[in-house]
Amino acid sequence: MAAPVPWACCAVLAAAAAVVYAQRHSPQETPHVQYERLGSDVTLPCGTANWDAAVTWRVNGTDLAPDLLNGSQLVLRGLELGHSGLYACFHRDSWHLRHQVLLNVGLPPREPVLSCRSNTYPKGFYCSWHLPTPTYIPNTFNVTVLHGSKIMVCEKDPALKNRCHIRYMHLFSTVKYKVSISVSNALGHNATAITFDEFTIVKPDPPENVVARPVPSNPRRLEVTWQTPSTWPDPESFPLKFFLRYRPLILDQWQHVELSDGTAHTITDAYAGKEYIIQVAAKDNEIGTWSDWSVAAHATPWTEEPRHLTTEAQAPETTASTTSSLAPPPTTKICDPGELGSGGGPSAPFFISVLVTLALAAAAGSLLI
Amino acid sequence: MDFRAGDSWGMLACLCAVLWHLPAVPAHNRTGDPGPGPSIQKTYDLTRYLEHQLRSLAGTYLNYLGPPFNEPDFNPPRLGAETLPRATVNLEVWRSLNDRLRLTQNYEAYSHLLCYLRGLNRQAATAELRRSLAHFCTSLQGLLGSIAGVMAALGYPLPQPLPGTEPTWTPGPAHSDFLQKMDDFWLLKELQTWLWRSAKDFNRLKKKMQPPAAAVTLHLEAHGF
Repeated sequence: MAAPVPWACCAVLAAAAAVVYAQRHSPQETPHVQYERLGSDVTLPCGTANWDAAVTWRVNGTDLAPDLLNGSQLVLRGLELGHSGLYACFHRDSWHLRHQVLLNVGLPPREPVLSCRSNTYPKGFYCSWHLPTPTYIPNTFNVTVLHGSKIMVCEKDPALKNRCHIRYMHLFSTVKYKVSISVSNALGHNATAITFDEFTIVKPDPPENVVARPVPSNPRRLEVTWQTPSTWPDPESFPLKFFLRYRPLILDQWQHVELSDGTAHTITDAYAGKEYIIQVAAKDNEIGTWSDWSVAAHATPWTEEPRHLTTEAQAPETTASTTSSLAPPPTTKICDPGELGSGGGPSAPFFISVLVTLALAAAAGSLLI
Repeated sequence: MDFRAGDSWGMLACLCAVLWHLPAVPAHNRTGDPGPGPSIQKTYDLTRYLEHQLRSLAGTYLNYLGPPFNEPDFNPPRLGAETLPRATVNLEVWRSLNDRLRLTQNYEAYSHLLCYLRGLNRQAATAELRRSLAHFCTSLQGLLGSIAGVMAALGYPLPQPLPGTEPTWTPGPAHSDFLQKMDDFWLLKELQTWLWRSAKDFNRLKKKMQPPAAAVTLHLEAHGF
């Protein structure tokens, strides 16, 4: 068994020799990563080469002009984002790769923007953040939450990387929460903090599934229904109140209704035949602020089937039948702004027929006298 | 209790003891009893009214105290004011409170807070402040009466103070002007928080007592055809 030992010994020596040779004649396998500030100047040395060594520089495989060189060093002035890339320097004659630099041009972080909100009161709240301007290089964020002197855990959101969640342990606290965030990257560091009371950040999500339907045989009604936002965990103990706004598409002015209970409402003053846009918002009954407006629902009130235009002789009959329902003019008629002013009042043919009726009656009366 | 002659704290303690023993009158006539529902609603409405009133009162009073108390970011550690009833409670504990305990905690809290507020009133410098504080104290007394009414309607006894646990304001040995202002600050903060909590407490009681209420809309249905 003496034979394997000398063989193993030789193999190890050969491997060691190979490693030493490789290290002396090749650069590190992974390029050196370097971060530099936008607008600044940078000098890239060619690894350990002498200043007067004859080298060529390439960026992302493209040759660089020799006038950028200062000896064997590459000089870049007024760095722009386009300067980011993989820089490599080679022995001019042997094209032997001496050194690689992965240059990233970026900026130090500006003060982050931090906000917190509770859309799941009383379960907890979340905080989210972002940088007002990009840095173009990787940043790391660190969030700390203090309740008085107690540190609370902010759990990272599984989907969004700039959000974390805090669970309320105690309710009705008089002590404020302080959320601090620090951001850093290779070029700098920044931080900010916000302080707030438990109640001030409560803002539910908008109501869901807002549906508006016409009401049969009621040309001025629209029935609106919605659901409390699914993220609000306990609508029984923490009821929501709602704010409904609606307008016909052709007008800019909204009508508003505040509802202290229930998830349905019937609009009773819709303009006949006009398409409406309806939105709902929610708020905790006592604390916090209104949610954003919900996704809009569209609906047009019920209208009768369009009739043929009536002649003047038939006017008295039509007056009797149109007093209880306000039929819109036939669709071929141009919309009369006067109708809108009176809130979908009697249509023009009705007026004409009334005038004609009165005229006929007066004429008949004068004949009798 | 140590009643030194002319000692304002001693007088305050005496006053609080007297108030504590005053029987609270039930808020409504029991004949033809419609049940506790309407008086729970009334109590809820009172908390909202008081919370609204407190907002302007607190603003005025904090301005009177001056900076840093009237700064919106003022976030001092909770030191002193240990005898103030705290609204803060563990979420699960709050949820699982039985009706009697829920009502009792509210009643006891406001009794204490009213007592302290009356003390505040006696020291307030301007006549206008004293007027606002007095008005608020009256409203708060009304809330106490309303809560007592609900408890009576539900057959719960009013909490009686044990001897020696009367709410007395016992300041530290050298209660400086600044520390006094801190106490005032926490009193107002705790009062505001209690009013928010009470709204939630009475909401919970309302839902438990009443059958599912029909949707109440403020926009008049009479506008129909």
